[in-house]
Amino acid sequence: MSVLRIHPEKCTGCLRCELACSYMQTGDFQPAKSVIRVSPFEGHTSYAPYTCTQCAEGWCMTACPVGAITINAVGAKDVLDDRCVGCKLCTIACPYGTMFYDPATRKAFKCNLCGGAPACAEACPTAAITYEDVTTGDWLGDFARERTERVLAGVR
Amino acid sequence: MAARHLIIGGGTAGMNAIRTIREEESERSTITLVSAERPYSRMVLPYYLDRSIAESHVFTATGKVLADWGVTTHLGKRATALDTKANVCTLEDGTTVEYDDCLIATGSSAVRAPVPGADGPGVHSFWTLDQARGVVAQIQPGRHVVMVGAGFIAFTILNSILALGAKLTIVEVAPRILPRMIDDTGAQLVEAWLKQHGVAIRTGAKLTRIDDVKGRQRLKLAAGGDLVADVVIMATGIRTNLDWLKGAGVTIKQGIVVDDHLRSSVPNVYAAGDVAEGRDLISQANAVHAIEPTAQEHGRVAGANMAGKDIRYRGSLIINIVEVCHLDVASFGAWDDAQAEAASGVKADRPAYRKLLWRGDRLTGAIILGPSSDIWTTNDVGMLKGLVQSGVSLGRWKAHLKKSPFDIKPAFIATKTTSALLPETILGRPSKAPGETPVAV
Repeated sequence: MSVLRIHPEKCTGCLRCELACSYMQTGDFQPAKSVIRVSPFEGHTSYAPYTCTQCAEGWCMTACPVGAITINAVGAKDVLDDRCVGCKLCTIACPYGTMFYDPATRKAFKCNLCGGAPACAEACPTAAITYEDVTTGDWLGDFARERTERVLAGVR
Repeated sequence: MAARHLIIGGGTAGMNAIRTIREEESERSTITLVSAERPYSRMVLPYYLDRSIAESHVFTATGKVLADWGVTTHLGKRATALDTKANVCTLEDGTTVEYDDCLIATGSSAVRAPVPGADGPGVHSFWTLDQARGVVAQIQPGRHVVMVGAGFIAFTILNSILALGAKLTIVEVAPRILPRMIDDTGAQLVEAWLKQHGVAIRTGAKLTRIDDVKGRQRLKLAAGGDLVADVVIMATGIRTNLDWLKGAGVTIKQGIVVDDHLRSSVPNVYAAGDVAEGRDLISQANAVHAIEPTAQEHGRVAGANMAGKDIRYRGSLIINIVEVCHLDVASFGAWDDAQAEAASGVKADRPAYRKLLWRGDRLTGAIILGPSSDIWTTNDVGMLKGLVQSGVSLGRWKAHLKKSPFDIKPAFIATKTTSALLPETILGRPSKAPGETPVAV
């Protein structure tokens, strides 16, 4: 399957991915409702977007007590709104912090790869997010390790 | 490989086991389900109570689904005896079921405070669907509901009671609320928050009796200050349903002692969920974790092994989350470990709270509290679970987090926790979608 591949060194922190994502997911240009989130590093001099890896276990999916999380046509774990009761079990089961909850709708929501045409990847002006047929991975770990050296330098 | 599987209990553990047997088996076996109730999810009963879902939404498998799965059912009947030498289970109506292997997943029952009047009219438990039906009709606008017990179960229905317009008083015998889910600091923040939202709370209050006074309930407290309620809900704990297993020859301590394959002391008898005393992921000692995620993982691992696979369970992690009046409260792992190194941070005005606990440079427990509308709360909830579950070495991030306990996201990402987590699966393969089953009607 294709997944969102993050190229953190290309991210400029413009947040277009968050705007595009929230618009696609909720109909509002509201980054607080985006399921891809840009994190700052090195005191806001570098940035990287972070989102669901579509992991093999699907901790959110197996935890759901009512079968409200399934695998959609493009292989993404996807929440069925009419089945989700908003119990939040998925938000503590997901060990990546990529399950979200909307207090307005009382439903969980997450990255569903926009059904095969991810809005974040399309919106990114620097191709820091690409949609590719590769094995999912830890796209940010090495980048973040390097970009947090200064934060940790003074820590004992 | 076993040809005849018997599943005793149709809750989360039992249903996950059945599904996993069908996913994993190489040739079709026979499966018999014995369950005192139709399979449903207890997790969603609070949403049935506040009428945001219909009763039909609570069921996890319909008769048709079970038939499609090829499951023979004995529903509405309790198992009363297990003969582990003859491999026969006897039901309350005298029916006997032979098996090659069986899973005990009979769950827990609600227990009430041992005081006079606790079983009287107007006093309810909220644990089973039947009990929920009894409560649904009672909660009405303006009515005074007294909840006895301030634990997790009580808190799961707190929003529903308020949403229905009832007035709520919580009575707790312990000196603070949520005594088995969060620490003193967290409990104080939650208590203050609830009081701001109109909930009356009496902690350190020992209930001595309940009297029916013309259809209303008078609750007598040891310290004085009686309460009069229209409805009393007792959420004073649960007890595992194991009495029926006496004499079966299965080793029972706090629960049925199981090995890392969910097998009991009798090799063809498995146990899962609330009744099982299995490995704790953090301490690696045996413990009963009477929570939904453990029942689900236990059920799947037991099911896979019953289907002939060789799946070792890594151990279960205590995780709990409850939202009260838009405040998320969650805890993970060994959050109450007095020997652990700990650091915490409070932002009383939000309110937000993080408590982190370490053994060495691994996070072994955490408490998190914050507004559910705050996106960082949700991010941190999951990432704390990931840090505790993966046990990654935090290195210098430990010292950083001790100073800045809210700075969880960079620590999670830069310690490559994602790399540690991605290969982890419960069954050693990608999970399958629920598909046709087990879903509600």
